[in-house]
Amino acid sequence: MASRFSGALQLTDLDDFITPSQECIKPVKIEKTKSKTGAKIKIGEDGYFDLSTGKEQKLQKVEITLADCLACSGCITSAESVLVTRQSQEELLKVFSDRKYTDTRGVTRDVTLVVISISAQPLLSLAARYKLDPEEATRKLVGYFKSLGADLVLDMTVAEDLSLLEAQQEFVQRYQNQQQDPSAKQLPMLASSCPGWVCYAEKTHGNFILPYISSTKSPQQIMGSLVKQHLAIKRELNPSEVYHVTFMPCYDKKLEASREDFYSEILNCHDVDCVITAIELEQMLENSGRCLSEVADADLDWPWDESQGAAVRSHAGSGSGGYADNVFLYAAEHLFGETNPPLVYKNLRNPDFREVTLEKDGREVLKFAIANGFRNIQNLVQKLKRGKSPYHYVEVMACPSGCLNGGAQVRPVQGESGRELVTQLHALYGGLPVARPAQNKLVKQLYSDWLDGRDSDKAKALLHTAYHALEKNDIALNIKW
Amino acid sequence: MAKLELLQTLTGHKGIVWNVSWHPLGKMFASCGEDKIIKLWSKEGEHWVMKTVLVDGHQRTIREVSWSPCGNFLASASFDGTTAIWDKKSGQFECNATLEGHENEVKSVAWSPSGQLLATCGRDKSVWVWEVAGDDEYVCEAVLNIHNQDVKKVAWHPSSDILASASYDNTVKMYKEDQLDNDWACIATLQSHESTVWSLVFDKTGKRLATCSDDKTIKIWQEYNADNQEGVIVANKDSIWKCVCTLSGYHTRCVYDITWCHTTGLIATACGDDIIRVFKEVDNSDPNAPSFDLICTKPNAHSQDVNCVQWNPSGNQELISCSDDGEIKVWKFTED
Repeated sequence: MASRFSGALQLTDLDDFITPSQECIKPVKIEKTKSKTGAKIKIGEDGYFDLSTGKEQKLQKVEITLADCLACSGCITSAESVLVTRQSQEELLKVFSDRKYTDTRGVTRDVTLVVISISAQPLLSLAARYKLDPEEATRKLVGYFKSLGADLVLDMTVAEDLSLLEAQQEFVQRYQNQQQDPSAKQLPMLASSCPGWVCYAEKTHGNFILPYISSTKSPQQIMGSLVKQHLAIKRELNPSEVYHVTFMPCYDKKLEASREDFYSEILNCHDVDCVITAIELEQMLENSGRCLSEVADADLDWPWDESQGAAVRSHAGSGSGGYADNVFLYAAEHLFGETNPPLVYKNLRNPDFREVTLEKDGREVLKFAIANGFRNIQNLVQKLKRGKSPYHYVEVMACPSGCLNGGAQVRPVQGESGRELVTQLHALYGGLPVARPAQNKLVKQLYSDWLDGRDSDKAKALLHTAYHALEKNDIALNIKW
Repeated sequence: MAKLELLQTLTGHKGIVWNVSWHPLGKMFASCGEDKIIKLWSKEGEHWVMKTVLVDGHQRTIREVSWSPCGNFLASASFDGTTAIWDKKSGQFECNATLEGHENEVKSVAWSPSGQLLATCGRDKSVWVWEVAGDDEYVCEAVLNIHNQDVKKVAWHPSSDILASASYDNTVKMYKEDQLDNDWACIATLQSHESTVWSLVFDKTGKRLATCSDDKTIKIWQEYNADNQEGVIVANKDSIWKCVCTLSGYHTRCVYDITWCHTTGLIATACGDDIIRVFKEVDNSDPNAPSFDLICTKPNAHSQDVNCVQWNPSGNQELISCSDDGEIKVWKFTED
């Protein structure tokens, strides 16, 4: 079975299929009672038994959660099995049928509202797979989720817009800080929306790289805050009884959703409970013997006050959400007074490493790049380490060609090359209605009504996050010749 | 009678000597090991002597050294996770570039025939391709996560930019650059060994590959193009690799290394039973099912595991070997 994780995570072992028991070094806490003789353990056919109390007592099997793996610097293994239990199609179908779920703390909760948030890339993947136009595919997909029992199916435009607006502002702030203190590790600002890249940076390059990574949350996690901390409250629901599912182009997003940073101790829940990908949705349809084109139509829901209207939209620029383009245009205008300068990318060593510059008075004042795929992440990191990075901003994505080619997008059909499929998805993405973050009325309303204004503490708390370096401890036992 | 005659025993490394590598002209070789030191050896009169010691390049065991085809650069792969590139532009050998990126132990390093590409592999299960981008500049061209276990060895095809790797997952994989998007992809998986594949070597034509394994066998693989006359089916590919010969029953322990002389066509092996063996293809053997004879066995070639064997590239029938016993030995092979 091919891995659906990005290359960056495959290297850090996050995708391997060793079950935790084989190589996991996580210390297991054993409740000890004082005894002078050591513990006596019998191995029976059906488990291990502790004999030290005089009678046979079956020992608990060790359970390792995904959160354990993410927090551990040991083998860096998070077996697929760990992930699959909480973030699988089976789990999702179970939640639909039982209207109950068991959270990461082991507490079982009732579900009063199931919300599905749809991103553009996996939707286009399905549209291509079932030969539907994107609008039709959206209605079919909404209809399918509704038929399973979803209460609300939403597009993520508002979260994507918020993420871009915050990133733009963060960039200008960092640029100005850098001018004042050139030794501050402010630039280049590195995009943070790809969890494969963020996880790789945390586990491998730690404090050297992390200060450069944008603190702005990814659209998935902003959508999470919006659903759990705004929509739920608006509807007078207990946020932990709202089950939030995102529809995403890669497995790495499951890791992101499981991060402790995105668990609210106050609300007792994660912002996103389950991530489902295009390839899993294809499988769900196949398992139930259905074809997406035969599903009854339904429209996206619009639970917000402003009458912007629901639609899955694209953003100008790359198929990964247009980070480089949007930040570039905003910075050109706000720092240098240039409105709509031409964005002409120049390919470097391969088409997945491109750069674009803004010249003013014959001088390069802004230099941005898009670096996709693990090999280009490597070259970028090495440039940074040697102090040879000429960039102010880099849109970094772990998958070659970015999110449209995400690791859990539907595979090309027999006889079709991966490259042809990505080209087709790019064309479909370009054909979507284009979002204009700065003009989004809902965004304006959310800033004023929900977030207490643009630069408030609340906006900072809900739209930004932090990263944590994981120290490696090399254990002699791990050495293999 | 074919025989391997010991010319000289070289000592000086502390602990295991992992690898020896001939300079392309065959007048000098490099050695490395557990002591984190690289030694360069060349001949003074009839005797091999240590000429240079390279230190402070690595923090842990150096697993392999490899000379560039031009002979001006030496690459060293280390368990410290880095690959160092040494050259003597300044007059003496110095480390002027370090390739970082592997998560942990780097196990092998090899230069492509043009000297423009470099491959590395290691415990993180990945194979990396680097391109020489200018003075002391190396950029990562590809990270190939195709093996699902530790990758033990990388080797380049003798004339084209095709890379092969051997792994703990019992397979050999081959890779080539896809010109359309400048990305590297796996073009073949060679499956037949029943345990770790430790090493591999192409013959001089590049149409054959020899592999050695922990399963105590040697296998010879042959490439069949889509238009082959033998009737081998090649579906949706330029070519396939087929195992045409398995040499079993000769080695009593794991076979760690294999070398194929591009002048004489002789194959020599390094084995965990302390023996060096030399095999020769039988005259007039069927090209599609070749047979090889064991023509020379050197018991107790070393007092412990033999880690590496290398034929002198000049074709003068000289062979070097190194071992866990800390020694390097220079041999002369003669037939009849």
